[in-house]
Amino acid sequence: MPTHLPIRRAVLRAAAALASATLVFLIVPNAADARVKLITLPVRERVEIQLDHPNATLVEEERVVPLVKGANQVDFSWANTQIDPNTIVFRVVGPAGSEKLDVTVASVSYPPNESSLVWTVGASASGSARVRISYLLGNLTKSFNYRAVASHDEKHLTLAQYMRLDNLANESFRETKLFAGFGPQFQKPIGLNETKEVLVEKFEAVPIDKTYTCNPQEYDYLDRGQNKLRVPMHYVIKNDTAHQLGKAVLPYGKVRIFIEGAGDQAQAATAFLGEDWGKFTPKDDEMRLYLGVAQDVVVKRTIDKNEAKRVTGNLYNHDVVIKYEIENFKKQPVTLDVTENLPYVRNETRGNTNRDVDYDLREDTTFTGGPDRERSSSEKLVFHAQLPAADANGKAEKVIHKLHLTFKNEW
Amino acid sequence: MKSISHIFSFIVLAFACGSQLRAENVDLSTVPKRDSVQLTIYNSEDITLVRETRVVTFKKGLNPLQFSWANTLIDPSSVELKFLTAADKLDVEDTTFPHDKPQMLYWNVKSEFDGGATIQITYFTSGITWSADYVAIADKDERTLDIDGFVRVTNNSGEEYENAQIRLVVGTINLVEKIAELAKIPVADVKKLKEESQLGFRREVLGRAMDRMAVGGAVSAPAAVPAEAAKEKEIIKEGLSEYFIYTVEGTETIPNGWSKRMRSFAGKSVPLKVQYRYRPREYGEQLVRMYLMTNNEESKLGTTPLPDGIVRLFRNNGREGLSYLTQQTIKYIPIGDKIELNLGVDPEVVFDLAKLRTSRDHIWMQINGTDKFQQVGEDLIESQVNANVAGWDDHCLYRQQIRNYTGKPIDVEIRRSFGGHILFRSQLQPTQFDFQTAQFTAQIPAGAKKDLLYEIVQHQGRNTKQNNVTLETAEVKP
Repeated sequence: MPTHLPIRRAVLRAAAALASATLVFLIVPNAADARVKLITLPVRERVEIQLDHPNATLVEEERVVPLVKGANQVDFSWANTQIDPNTIVFRVVGPAGSEKLDVTVASVSYPPNESSLVWTVGASASGSARVRISYLLGNLTKSFNYRAVASHDEKHLTLAQYMRLDNLANESFRETKLFAGFGPQFQKPIGLNETKEVLVEKFEAVPIDKTYTCNPQEYDYLDRGQNKLRVPMHYVIKNDTAHQLGKAVLPYGKVRIFIEGAGDQAQAATAFLGEDWGKFTPKDDEMRLYLGVAQDVVVKRTIDKNEAKRVTGNLYNHDVVIKYEIENFKKQPVTLDVTENLPYVRNETRGNTNRDVDYDLREDTTFTGGPDRERSSSEKLVFHAQLPAADANGKAEKVIHKLHLTFKNEW
Repeated sequence: MKSISHIFSFIVLAFACGSQLRAENVDLSTVPKRDSVQLTIYNSEDITLVRETRVVTFKKGLNPLQFSWANTLIDPSSVELKFLTAADKLDVEDTTFPHDKPQMLYWNVKSEFDGGATIQITYFTSGITWSADYVAIADKDERTLDIDGFVRVTNNSGEEYENAQIRLVVGTINLVEKIAELAKIPVADVKKLKEESQLGFRREVLGRAMDRMAVGGAVSAPAAVPAEAAKEKEIIKEGLSEYFIYTVEGTETIPNGWSKRMRSFAGKSVPLKVQYRYRPREYGEQLVRMYLMTNNEESKLGTTPLPDGIVRLFRNNGREGLSYLTQQTIKYIPIGDKIELNLGVDPEVVFDLAKLRTSRDHIWMQINGTDKFQQVGEDLIESQVNANVAGWDDHCLYRQQIRNYTGKPIDVEIRRSFGGHILFRSQLQPTQFDFQTAQFTAQIPAGAKKDLLYEIVQHQGRNTKQNNVTLETAEVKP
């Protein structure tokens, strides 16, 4: 057995204490009988961490490796880090100096019971080569979160997008380039067990819609006895250029929502409105952020009419009228989105037949403009109801709307 | 180089006095060294054919040879001796497997001359395996791809085969018993082994082999780097019967416990097609991005079938680095066949299916207690009370919306399968993939959105006449 191996291992252990992923270059010209060995430890010249994959982190490091003419062993070892050895890609970028140098990777050997591998690298001359080593590293994970500050009039908000890196990979990186897959690249050090949050983008004056919605199937009743529906409020952020966004998808993450105060002290008087999970939002899609239940918009929903009409035999049509009595006690006019899930209404009135609904929208429906075509489907109808502001005494005008449907061909 | 645990030996008993000598306690032996060794490794089964040659000096008369293989995974029933030289003057008189030494046998060789001869010993061993894997790097624009194929040979056989010629067999062979199982029992017990115990036994044997390596600490080191190691070895590929054989140029030494990975081929600038596919049966309920290539010469490949293995796929990210895309196991790909790599969902392409409208028609009533049917329509009077719905058609209008934010036009292929008697109505120029699957394609320009409309009519109850999909070209309005 050649004697160089115990020496190599000793150096590896020492090196592992310095950094958990270590590159060792072993100079063993005609090594068969050599007893005196010299080992160099090429340092990382440059590191990039690619975070553009949804669930894998790719580390790319560049090192300058001194090579002798002929065969060389380049050992790469790691300790206590989750590197998948099968994903390691070793690429020779070129000579580090101006001298011509042809470098080939002849083979890779994997020692037993060790987190390491050995490349056998051939060089046409003695000199240094610039190599790039890429590997997937576990436990270095990213997540996103947002801080949204709405203007006092709730017409716009400032959306700051942060990327949070959790480094539990047991490896530290000095100045490292980070790329989330969108937005700018960063150059930051990442320490052991460190969590680092970086501001990816800040979007100013993003126009938002504040919506009030009632949808008994999704949000249920606030007070079933009094037929009062729950009316949740949302900020709706549209991820498109018209809304100062649309550069990239908005990844899933928690959104903390704030609102500016009134007057000159707008910033200082900022208040926390709550938080919600922002869903993964492709371009042109909407991110809806739940703000809580509106107390000043009261919607009473009653089923005014439910009448079965026999077509023939056991085949029936069902005439259904739903009445909404709506009051807005706010000082501003409000648009209420009235949403009905059609199978839910059919099951409520006719009973569940487990069939798709076949329906007609009938003449007693009062919502002006008809259903919102973009947001309605075969199972859902969305209407918009304009509600005037309450008067100076706080008295709200009662707005009454009706939805008239016929569920056809049920049995 | 032999480690402590490396106990393969070949002994010539110097005193050729017949088999009774073996019972004595004082022996003298010589150990002829291995001159050459060839390993033929199969990847479909844990089996390796070892063919080794040694030069042995015989004396005229009877020459007992002892062959032992302690702590290795050799199948004793497979050991064979052949004479490569002086074959006409040498004969194996008998072979004995002693009952008290399971990993040993004796040959009595009768020689008609005094002198040396080259012998060849062949046997099967387990514990040496090989696998293929691939690293593919697409260019920035995803027009071409560089793909390197690798073979990785792992030696856990308990034996180190120095300077072995290595041949790798691509293809499937049939074995009726596991080599690892046969390796650990006396040859007389081979028949006693029950099939159900095979796998457990194999694990146990391998486990024991591993333990010995760990306890003995006899992990071999790689040989010092000889100058010829600097050159990347060629892997010669040739077809043989239904198999493909890769022969690694020169010889290799892979110490016990180690594995070694070598490049088997390199495909440079292989033309690449990107396609988006919706095929729920194959890829789940999602639109996936695919890289499509062909294993042929036009595509700068096709020198070898691609054995089963993992493909690790990267893309040049245009910033002097790589982006990791995916890793995927591919099944054996013959020369000329397609290579398809699934990259998963692309967040830059939005794929939405909306059910726009549902309705029913062609409703047939059965008059109770009769076999009379009547279709519901203007003619049917309401007074017919005593009837039940017996057949109808469900209509469902779908909008398949695709939004392409990739900056490049994309090709999309969609397969939709339906059970029952279905009419697929659209202007999408669909084709029938199978009796219950419609397939249609679309090109979406960069930055554009496309709505693909189709209506599904499902015949129900007595309206059901078939169990298949019929394609109909007709205008479908939202």
